[in-house]
Amino acid sequence: MSMLDVSGLNKVYTTRFGGNQVEALRSVSFSVEEGEFVAIMGESGSGKTTLLNLLAALDQPTGGSVRLDGQELAKIKESQLAAFRRDNLGFVFQEFNLLDTFSIEDNISLPLVLAGRGPDEIRSAVTGLAESLGIVKLLKKYPYEVSGGQKQRAAVARALVTRPKLILADEPTGALDSHSTDELLDLFSAVNRSGQTILMVTHSVKAASRAGRVLFIRDGEVFHQLYRGENTDAQMYQKISETLTALTTGGDRA
Amino acid sequence: MTLSLCRRLARTGMRTNRRLYLPYLLTCAGMIAMTYLISALSESAVLGAMSGGDVMQSCLELGLGVVTFFSAIFLFYTHSFLIRRRKKEFGLYNVLGMGKRHIALVLLWESLLSALISFAGGFLGGILLSGLGELCMAALLGGTADAALTVSPESLARTFLVFLMIFALILLDSLRQIRLTNPINLMRSEAAGEKPPHANWFLAAAGLLLLGAAYWLAVTITDPLAALLTFFLAVLLVIAGTYLVFISASVAVCRALQKNRRYYYRTNHFVSVSSMLFRMKRNGAGLASICILCTMVLVMLSTTLCLYIGAEDSLHARYPRSINLTAQAGSLSALDGDWKEEVRELAERVTREAGDEQKKPIDYRAMLFIGFVRDGRLLADPAAADGLGESAEDVWQVYVIPIEDYNRLMGTQMELAGNEVLLYSTKESYAGGDTIAFGDGPAYAVAGCADGFVDNGADAAQLLPSLYVFVPDLAPVNETFLEAEAGQWLDYVWTYAFDLAGSDAEQRALQASLEDGLAGLGTEESGVLWLRCDGLAEQRMGFYAMYGSLLFLGVLLGVVFVFAAILIIYYKQLSEGYEDQARFDVMQKVGMTKREIRRSVNSQVLTVFFLPLLLAGVHLAFAFPMLQKLLLLFGLMNVPLLIVVTLLCYAVFAAFYLAIYRLTSRAYCRIVSGAGEEE
Repeated sequence: MSMLDVSGLNKVYTTRFGGNQVEALRSVSFSVEEGEFVAIMGESGSGKTTLLNLLAALDQPTGGSVRLDGQELAKIKESQLAAFRRDNLGFVFQEFNLLDTFSIEDNISLPLVLAGRGPDEIRSAVTGLAESLGIVKLLKKYPYEVSGGQKQRAAVARALVTRPKLILADEPTGALDSHSTDELLDLFSAVNRSGQTILMVTHSVKAASRAGRVLFIRDGEVFHQLYRGENTDAQMYQKISETLTALTTGGDRA
Repeated sequence: MTLSLCRRLARTGMRTNRRLYLPYLLTCAGMIAMTYLISALSESAVLGAMSGGDVMQSCLELGLGVVTFFSAIFLFYTHSFLIRRRKKEFGLYNVLGMGKRHIALVLLWESLLSALISFAGGFLGGILLSGLGELCMAALLGGTADAALTVSPESLARTFLVFLMIFALILLDSLRQIRLTNPINLMRSEAAGEKPPHANWFLAAAGLLLLGAAYWLAVTITDPLAALLTFFLAVLLVIAGTYLVFISASVAVCRALQKNRRYYYRTNHFVSVSSMLFRMKRNGAGLASICILCTMVLVMLSTTLCLYIGAEDSLHARYPRSINLTAQAGSLSALDGDWKEEVRELAERVTREAGDEQKKPIDYRAMLFIGFVRDGRLLADPAAADGLGESAEDVWQVYVIPIEDYNRLMGTQMELAGNEVLLYSTKESYAGGDTIAFGDGPAYAVAGCADGFVDNGADAAQLLPSLYVFVPDLAPVNETFLEAEAGQWLDYVWTYAFDLAGSDAEQRALQASLEDGLAGLGTEESGVLWLRCDGLAEQRMGFYAMYGSLLFLGVLLGVVFVFAAILIIYYKQLSEGYEDQARFDVMQKVGMTKREIRRSVNSQVLTVFFLPLLLAGVHLAFAFPMLQKLLLLFGLMNVPLLIVVTLLCYAVFAAFYLAIYRLTSRAYCRIVSGAGEEE
């Protein structure tokens, strides 16, 4: 069984006045196996963020279902949702979303503290993770003191610290320069190689080319998907670019 | 770009940000009204005409400085919050091609508009309040003052100038902020991270030290009137100390808590402690202001309420009997003169004619002087007692009374040998040894201490402790002082008082006819310097009028200060709401439930809110000895009453504070949960 199973997902937004209905997602179905690194690509407004919100149970679908390890998200009680998110999902955002009142160390510790772990356990988990991500020197600093790339590393560490089943990344490279982007993508690849499942939403071809599989969304529908197979990053880049050209010029499914 | 566009931008800016601007304008107007009110009252003729009004006015005058200082800090605080919210808008104007000069014009226009509104509202409120105050006081004083709605032009001018300056400084500060930043920073300023506050141990220690010093002063001051300057030094120290403690010491405490990993890395403490750290840095000043306002309100309410409730006690302490006659003679022989018998007969006759009878009469002669104690000697001449007057323990109000008068009054049969005296003291106990001497005269052996003596109105009216020395004969004592040429410091006083059974109106009538009779006696020819007649019934009205207006004034100022506190609290809720909005979002994404967040935030907000109330309680406790001494001046010696009233005021105020907190925290919840729902 797949780790993440999305079937027939629909999301319809109703505008506040006049009752105009906007279909953000239309019968989206796909699944993610354990240990996969999947990128979801699409133009702005294609429904990427809506999809991610549904996967994170931050929003309720109009139809269809999302199952994580066989558990249907829609059936989880509102009161347990936060704990579920904390234990099973790790988030990486475009805008880092570090709390500026915490040092980097405390930002990374936050999910563990919320889960009620003991101080020693927290410390060993955070320092161990920081070593493997190469951010030991940052731990005592505050978000305003470090660069964007470093902030995003800290955010990744925060996402990983609970050992979640799935990492959800929303445009993680969107606010980074090219050097930091490369570093972050290397980090993702390394984390993925160690067995971590990652689902990343992006419209950067470069970011997507590092993934094992790329899903393309257009106007709320899964339009196409690409497997890396034996392709190198460069070949993958080439293929993604071609697909995107086809997408934007309005070609039919390849 | 035209000026009219700038004006329009300023107007729409204010209108669209009315949720921020309205409380700011209200705050400005409130502060102006408060300053005007205090200034006007400190010059008010009505208040000045009240007995004790002059002391109160000088207190108000000094308080005015405190309030001005306080307004400046507070307005800066609220406006910095406002300008931070608006920087994004200004950044956008800048990006869209508006020069900084134009932004400055917009700011200038906004400042002018808000100043105009604040002055209009503030002066209107202030004039109404001060008018209402004067009218009510005049009514309470029973028409002894003109009841008219007066406007004090000096106070208007003074308030106007002070606030014009504050507004100008605020404008300059915001212009400086706009000048120093580039458009991108302006647009981002709201999101810009803030340095974590570092604990300034020096300032924290200084704050605690200042508070300690103030407390020590408050506890050790023996005569608040003589040491009015010390008293205000203590008040200023408390204010400075409170600000430092809230700004630095609180940060230091949070830092220390963070260092304790076992405490810090707990779900309940983690978020609270770290956000409290930032919150205290930004809101320390606001909290300190709330704390000081609370203390002021509590002090004013509890003392004036206590005075009002204890008015009857004070009245009886000041006037022990229904009719109190006091006469001062020019010499000892005049004191022993026959005129006393004439006065007694007159009083007896007048009482009889009124169909009443004298009860519990007090009748005694006394030689009075301010005695400085040195080596068991009571010195009357301040020059001879060089340096002793500085320390209050050595100064006594001395009454030298013949033992025969004592025996008659107390119904005892004490016998004293020629070189013996009997002692009695009030307020403090006299520990001057086994012998006592007057000036350079021979020493008397202290035969013992009397169990008590009759109430004495003069003793109740002053802070100085009294020492009663009962001697076999006044003449030798008098000789001793006259030989030392210290006679000018002696007063020869005859006290004659008695109770009546009649109603207040009958007593007043009796007093009037007694006074008429006394005027006809011609006692001046017998060497009597003056003769005064005080009636309990006559004084009762004055007492209630005075204490009533004091209470009214206390309530009026209390309401004004509470109003200021409400505004600060509202501002804090608002600003914290906006700050927590983004944080709330992130925490939710990281896996905190809405309820958890709300609970954590509530607990911090609650802690932060009740700290000022707590510290105000501590301030009040340390101010207590001083309040007690101040009230002694009014003849109020009922300490349990003061304690009960103070505690009661504190409890009622705490309940009121809680209600304010509940009301204003709604604004906070609206902002924060609004962010949660935007998901």
